[in-house]
Amino acid sequence: MNRPDKDRSRKAGKGFRALGPALAVALGAAFGNPVAAQDVQTVTATVCAACHAEDGNSVIPMFPKIAGLQEAYIVKQLRDFMSGRRKSDVMAPVVAQLKPEDVAPLAAFYSKQKLKPGEADNKKAIGLGKLIFHDGNEETGVPACVGCHQPQGAGHGVYPRIGGQHTAYVTQQLKNFAASERSNDVSRFMRVTSKRMSEEEIHAVAEYLVGLEAK
Amino acid sequence: MNKFLTTIFVVMLWPLVTTAQTPSWNEIKGEQLIALQTKGDAVRGEVAFEPCQGCHRNDASGRTSGAYPRLSGQHATVLIKQIVDIRAGRRINPKMEPFIGDHALTPFEIADIASYLQGLPISAEIGKGPGTRLAAGKQLYDKDCTSCHGARGEGSAEKFYPMVASQHFRYLLRESQFIRDGDRRNSNPEMVKVIKSYSNSDLEALADYMAQLPPPRR
Repeated sequence: MNRPDKDRSRKAGKGFRALGPALAVALGAAFGNPVAAQDVQTVTATVCAACHAEDGNSVIPMFPKIAGLQEAYIVKQLRDFMSGRRKSDVMAPVVAQLKPEDVAPLAAFYSKQKLKPGEADNKKAIGLGKLIFHDGNEETGVPACVGCHQPQGAGHGVYPRIGGQHTAYVTQQLKNFAASERSNDVSRFMRVTSKRMSEEEIHAVAEYLVGLEAK
Repeated sequence: MNKFLTTIFVVMLWPLVTTAQTPSWNEIKGEQLIALQTKGDAVRGEVAFEPCQGCHRNDASGRTSGAYPRLSGQHATVLIKQIVDIRAGRRINPKMEPFIGDHALTPFEIADIASYLQGLPISAEIGKGPGTRLAAGKQLYDKDCTSCHGARGEGSAEKFYPMVASQHFRYLLRESQFIRDGDRRNSNPEMVKVIKSYSNSDLEALADYMAQLPPPRR
């Protein structure tokens, strides 16, 4: 009773087996094989260094220091730039020069560099910034930064190091989060938090952060 | 005619009357049930608790101002119920909700966090009251509160009654006012009934007394 079916399936199986190599060739041409990573030193020198400096300690306030950031965080940001989840007119053409396999070695390299802190321009803002960093604002429900970003802003896991980061960059990112122009934060935490912050608090916390040196 | 109208009203209002008679302050179902049936993992809970630390502090001691409660040492069942109720809108907490919504936490992570917090030592830094109404507070507490919250303010894990000893004064005062005034909607109606007639001054004395109760030994 089952025989005819069995025969048919056998025949079909044979047909597919014959098709196998042809299919593999066709698919290979259509989707390509994973492209091997480029030499990481070449990439950092030719693609990243102009803005972020060779060791990741950018000297241009609008461009972030990427030295010493959490490896997982760098991986996520590069992938988000590549996929368009994090939008940036500056980074979009840059990541277009990267292959997906470049991400891991780049993240490994920059996470091992040491982030060098800077100095606040507006020293009067540091007091309020310190308060926001350690206590948040109970009235408006701003959580203290230290909760996720850890003492000295060293970061942990998915929460990036922010201690020592450029004031201008931190200010811009907080504003981008508040306007939901940046939306690749973990569980919307930064969008919620920055929306609750006043402009004065944003500026102050950024001025406090730039001078923090984390181990 | 009057009789007819009365009948109609009774028929229309009957469902309201019957639901009021079967209080649903703690219906254990849905994600609350899932979280309660999950054996929480304190190690994973420590990581999941990180976003909470910005308000509740890294040691979960909360704020002595009472803006945010101490969570360390609280019963896991209580923590699960309160988180789930806030997610579901049964307890209104707009400051906290965006950080614990279902986009941020699974019921399993809630169980992990609750297990982590329950095991934390209770900080000595508690926001105390003025300390001037302790006798009056003790009298009210012994009369009306011990049957649920325990003689030492230890609460009951099994019955979802929170530990109230060594909680921040301002937090106890604010929440007990919310409960009395019907603003904390996930409260046990029995408690609402008991403190309905309490004045602000009564609640202050009570909170003064509870805040200074030492952490109950388990």
